[in-house]
Amino acid sequence: MTAQSLAGLRRARRNIWREIYNYRWIYLMILPTLVFIFLFKYMPMYGIQLAFKNYKLAGIAASPWNDFAHFKYMMDEPEFLPALRNTVLISFMRILVGFPFPIFLALLINECYTPRYRRVLQTIYTFPHFLSWVLLAGIMLNLLGSTGMVRKVAMVLNPEAGQNWNFLYDGNIYRWVLVLSDMWKEAGWGTIIYLAAVSGIDQSLYEAAVIDGCNRWQKIVNITLPGIVSMISIQFVLRVGYIMEGGFDQVFNTYTPPVYEKGDIIDTYIYRISFVRTSGVDLGFSTAVGLFKNVINFVMMLSANLFVRSLGQEAVL
Amino acid sequence: MAQTAINNKALTDKVARKNRIRHFGVVDFFILLFLSLWGLLILYPFYNAVLVSIVPNTIYQRSQGFMLIPPAITWDSYAFTFKNSLIFTGYRTTVIVTVLGTAYNMAMTVLCGYALTKTGMPGIKVMRFALIFTMWFSGGLIPYYLQIKDLHLTDSLLVMVLPMGVNLMYLLIISDNFRSIPPSLEESAKIDGANDWTILLRILLPLCLPLLATFTLYYAVERWNEWYHAMLFIKTSSKWPLQNVLRTIINDVNMLATMNVPGQARPDVQGDSIKMSSIIVSMLPMMCLYPFLQRYFLSGLTLGAVKE
Repeated sequence: MTAQSLAGLRRARRNIWREIYNYRWIYLMILPTLVFIFLFKYMPMYGIQLAFKNYKLAGIAASPWNDFAHFKYMMDEPEFLPALRNTVLISFMRILVGFPFPIFLALLINECYTPRYRRVLQTIYTFPHFLSWVLLAGIMLNLLGSTGMVRKVAMVLNPEAGQNWNFLYDGNIYRWVLVLSDMWKEAGWGTIIYLAAVSGIDQSLYEAAVIDGCNRWQKIVNITLPGIVSMISIQFVLRVGYIMEGGFDQVFNTYTPPVYEKGDIIDTYIYRISFVRTSGVDLGFSTAVGLFKNVINFVMMLSANLFVRSLGQEAVL
Repeated sequence: MAQTAINNKALTDKVARKNRIRHFGVVDFFILLFLSLWGLLILYPFYNAVLVSIVPNTIYQRSQGFMLIPPAITWDSYAFTFKNSLIFTGYRTTVIVTVLGTAYNMAMTVLCGYALTKTGMPGIKVMRFALIFTMWFSGGLIPYYLQIKDLHLTDSLLVMVLPMGVNLMYLLIISDNFRSIPPSLEESAKIDGANDWTILLRILLPLCLPLLATFTLYYAVERWNEWYHAMLFIKTSSKWPLQNVLRTIINDVNMLATMNVPGQARPDVQGDSIKMSSIIVSMLPMMCLYPFLQRYFLSGLTLGAVKE
């Protein structure tokens, strides 16, 4: 009895090795990616311990533990809480304005019955999505800056406002510049997913609605919107999951010292205290701030994904 | 029976006519107006950039109000831009990084995407989880920075290639599409003696060409727009990619002017016009290619999102 099961176990083990041998090429195919994530994703995670240490040049392992000193200091750091507040606030503003607009735009594009013109428009709308914020920041700063065209026009319409031009130096205006320019860049790209969802709606529903005497508005409200509402809710949940991402590329390339107070987000804050500030902030402290952000991010994204899955939809991210 | 069929036909024709050949109403007019205005709003900043780059600086500075048509044209700022050696080296670096990086990205993504379809492989679930986990959690800037330094990638062009191996999002979409190809195809190839490489290269990839084109373009755009790693790790300015050259020009055009044309007073070639001409020059490839490749660019999102 025992001898028998032992033999069975041995056979099973041999089978595993044979199976692994059968998949040998596949293992070789996935190997580069595994090496890649080990070196560039998991090794940095090992470095997270720096958040609980005082950084020494000797290396991460050799640095001494410091009893959560960085986390205790975080609340006293004068720029940390404003950066955290700005991140959430700017994200919230982006959701408020930037989230509904692509839906609205997609509905309008869907109501545009000239296919060729529609394609031209979509080409234009999606173009900025593929440009970097470095480049767009250059264009934007020029347009809105003190020598820009917007100010020239403002000078004619309202000389007083034109004189005190501070679009890029007033924190409150700057936040809206961030939100609206991001919408300008991404709205066209955002419509694609909704248009795809619209195209999945059964055409016979529209035909039936026409027979029933529905007008255009009624068709939108009763067929198109219900048809894409699940896509809208998925996108919304996932977008909320990203609330800690304030848009590093955009902010970093457009902000200036006068707007640090209102425009600084966690990511730019981490960059600044690590590489720009001369007063010598411990790299361990930057790591701690990064960890703080990543943990919140992780929880938000995980719950967003679980929530979407509970809606019966498959979502990886 | 036949009668109802005819009636149905007449009815659907009527509906179709109502749907398609509707007359152009007031609502249509306002929809087109709004869409056109949004299109103009997207285009205007680019047009303005061109305008600033070609209008002589002295005229531009003195002009009042809205300018739509350039009152005078000069190509001086472009001449200046092309003389700038950083633009040249920037272009070179960016092209090298884009070609190398895209090839590296696609090779890894396709191989790994195929491997992920093998759900019966021992250990694949763990590997898949290990991959997906990196989308949700990361070490953060400083540990990443120190790791790259430990790998001695600093100030090497490879720092703009190697750390950007696979985009997990693209990987999962590509893998899903591989999985949607009937397994019987693979089985019959196996019976004919094909190994995994042959199946991937000779059967799967040719079936997925449009998909591959789309993600090649996405990767190429990402590599082309690279600036972050260069900012962190590349100190030698002749190794900067285009984006970082642009950053320098945008942030400090005066420094650049003194660097490149010592002692030359050119009142018409200044600040804004140089910035804008550099921007135009660096986005030229994208501007020329995008309208023709748009079909591939736009198909990627829907590949992942809408499943039957």
